[in-house]
Amino acid sequence: MLILSFILLALGRTIPRLPPEVSTLLFETGIDNIAAIVEELGIKSKAIYLPSSLTSGRPQALIPLYSNPSPPTITEALPQRLIVRYGASPDDVGLLVTTIGTTVVSMLESRPGPTPEELESALTSLFRGILGIADGVGVIHRENHIGVEIYNPRIESKATWFHQCLGGPLASVVASVAAEAWNRPVTINQEEHHKGKCSIELEVLG
Amino acid sequence: MKIYNNYILIIAILLLLTTVILVAMGQNALDVYYSIYIIEALIVTELYVYFNAKARRGLNLVSAILFGGFLFIVSSQVIRILA
Repeated sequence: MLILSFILLALGRTIPRLPPEVSTLLFETGIDNIAAIVEELGIKSKAIYLPSSLTSGRPQALIPLYSNPSPPTITEALPQRLIVRYGASPDDVGLLVTTIGTTVVSMLESRPGPTPEELESALTSLFRGILGIADGVGVIHRENHIGVEIYNPRIESKATWFHQCLGGPLASVVASVAAEAWNRPVTINQEEHHKGKCSIELEVLG
Repeated sequence: MKIYNNYILIIAILLLLTTVILVAMGQNALDVYYSIYIIEALIVTELYVYFNAKARRGLNLVSAILFGGFLFIVSSQVIRILA
C-alpha cells in the first residue's frame, strides 16, 4: 500500500491541469479557423512540412497557393509570416501555418536523428507516453519514402478539404517530427485508416 | 492516460500476486516481503520507458526512496549477521 501510494502521488502530479474538454475546445477552434482559410482560398495542393531550420524557429507547414507538378525547392529560411514567398516565380506564394506537429515537437526531450529507429522511438514516446493517443508505432524507411504505422490510434481523421491538404492530426505530428529528424521538407503522400491501425506514407523532399 | 493506468494496474496485480504466493509459502519475515515488493516495483518502473519527463522525475524520486528502504533492510541484516 505504501509503495502504491508513493507511485500514485508521483503520477498524480503529472495529470494535466486543463480538463480534456477544454483542450478539445481550443484544438477544434484553431483547426476550424485554418480550415476556413484553406477552403475559402480554394487551395488544393498538399502541405509541405518544414523543419525548424527552414522556418527560422519551429517546424511549420507551408501550403502552396498554386499547385505545381513538381514540389518546390526551399533552400532558405522562410520569414515568420502567414503569407510567404518561397521562390522566384510569381506563383511561389504560400501560407505558413502552425500545425499540431509544431507544438508536439517541442514536447520531445531531444531532436531525433535521421534513422527509422530514432523516429520510431520519438513517435512512440510522443503517442504512447506523452499524448496517450496510440499503443505503438512502426517505421520503415526506403530511399525518400517513410512508412509509418500507428497501432490502435484513439484519434480519428475526418475526410474534409482541410485534412486532405494538411493531413489528419496523427499524420501532421508524424510529418513534423520526420521533417525535424531528417532536417528536410516532408509531404504526406498517403494516409489510410484501418481497424486498429493508421498507415501514413511520407516523402522526404529536397 | 492509458499507459499510466496499465502501469499502476500491473504493479498492483504483481504486488498482490507476490503477497498471495509468499503467504502460501508460509513466509513470515516482513523484510522479505518488502524487498521483493521493491525489486518488482523498480523492475516494472524501468520497463516503462515512455513516460513523460515529469512522470519519470517523480518516479525516479519514488525509486530512490524505495531503494533507500531496501538498503536499510540489507544493512540491518548484515549488521545482525556480523553481530
